[in-house]
Amino acid sequence: MTGNQEDAVSDTVDDRRLRELSDASEDLHSDAMRGSRVAVADLVEAAAPGRRMSRGGAALAVGLAGAGVLATATRGSAATMDVAILQTAASIENLAVSTYTTALTLPFIGGAEANAVVKAFAMKTMAQHVDHATAFNAAAVGLGGQAQTALDPKYAKVVDAAIPTIKGPGDVVSLAITLEDVAAQTYTKNVSQVGSSMLRKLFGSVAAVEAQHRAILLAVAALLGGGAADLIALPPDAAKLPKAAGGVGFPDAFYSTSMASPSTEGAV
Amino acid sequence: MTRYDQTQPDGKPRGEMGVGDAELRALTKDLDALHRDTFPTALEQLRDTTSATRATIRGLARGPASRRGVLLRGLAAAGAGLLAACGGSDGGGKRTAMGGTPTRVASPYTGDLRVVALAAALENLAVAAYTMALTKAAAGDYGAVPGAVGEFATVARSQHAEHAKAWNGVLSGAKLPTITGTPLTIAASEVAKVKATKSVPELAAYALGLENAAAHTYLYAMANVSDSGGIATAATIAPVEAMHAAVLAFIAGDYPVPDAFIDTSSAVGPAALTA
Repeated sequence: MTGNQEDAVSDTVDDRRLRELSDASEDLHSDAMRGSRVAVADLVEAAAPGRRMSRGGAALAVGLAGAGVLATATRGSAATMDVAILQTAASIENLAVSTYTTALTLPFIGGAEANAVVKAFAMKTMAQHVDHATAFNAAAVGLGGQAQTALDPKYAKVVDAAIPTIKGPGDVVSLAITLEDVAAQTYTKNVSQVGSSMLRKLFGSVAAVEAQHRAILLAVAALLGGGAADLIALPPDAAKLPKAAGGVGFPDAFYSTSMASPSTEGAV
Repeated sequence: MTRYDQTQPDGKPRGEMGVGDAELRALTKDLDALHRDTFPTALEQLRDTTSATRATIRGLARGPASRRGVLLRGLAAAGAGLLAACGGSDGGGKRTAMGGTPTRVASPYTGDLRVVALAAALENLAVAAYTMALTKAAAGDYGAVPGAVGEFATVARSQHAEHAKAWNGVLSGAKLPTITGTPLTIAASEVAKVKATKSVPELAAYALGLENAAAHTYLYAMANVSDSGGIATAATIAPVEAMHAAVLAFIAGDYPVPDAFIDTSSAVGPAALTA
């Protein structure tokens, strides 16, 4: 890194603070993943095919946890639909991972020209999408389905078309906003479509995180678009942030589902 | 100076549940106006959801007691362990020996509708908290307040008011009284926390806890409510609360999305509802 680059970075981020935040985030992330593994394990235990039909105790356990209990006659078809929904979700996550991976190869996202906070955010967000894909696939396999390793076919085309047109960080952020929004909308809708409380909790949990990604990206996009890239820092100079930065990240009081992907869009 | 929560307007000492009531009423007096004024489009979008909710709720209300009992037991069992940061032991709600719901025999809010009422009360609490914070800011209590912080509080407050209206729409549809105040065991302590904030960072830290508690509570609701309309409503609101939290964390200088999964660790359980 050149002296000028170092100066540029030091202008936008407190390196020590960022490392502390990253370390803390890793700890939190690990804790969250442990919780998720437990949740997925519980799901597998409670909802695995074969066990589900023969072990009333599993369904009862789900009920005691507050879940809606599926009618026996509809369990098979409900589980099939759940698997498709989970595979589609995994395909969306796979695409997000692929897109952030590609973005991080660009000099203005993951290279020498990158804003340190944007780079750290892209890396962390990519890792979180890996976690989401892992959780969705574990649940799908637990229900007797296959893990989905492919990309969402509809939005893969969108990404493929966008990549050659990217000229700067704003273009990447714009593309990422689209993917995060589609993911959040899809999972928000999925909450009402899946057949168990454990899956509702899984989709609700991930939808909120994708929405958080989008909120930060919207704020970053606004700062980039307003020529205030220097304010993308941790901590930011709050006094210099434009007033609009306080509300641009959450434009709607209710999260829309109008762009939600169909349940079978990314099914195996 | 007499603390706001020590006496009632008539000078008599406040009871546990009377603590802060007058102040909360004052803080939330603009709720109706906010509810009337804000975002009819969003409410229109919710109308289908809430109409479905009403139909299901009517069925629940007429349904066999055993079904409600099962649901309540499930909620109580799940909720007993969920009274965390915002729903701690302070607040004075009397509880049964089993640690379930407060000792109230005439609550009209049962089953799923108890969670709906809880949600409305929490949203009202958020509106009250942001109103108080904006009032303190205008009075100079926080010194120079960045414009982005004021904008955050203003927009977040209006969205919480919309959320409250949505939840109250469900209650109205079930022919139940709407929740216009903050009938929560935690209300007084939460107001005290807001009053105690002396700087923007302190306010941000408080608000971050509030938003996380809201998001966690709705995640809890998604997993524990059986009505499809209630699930869908919680699902569309939780991401917005989480977005509030992320932006707030960013402004405060914290990493904005620290966890790959949100959980229910800060959820406020139904036992916190005193109505």
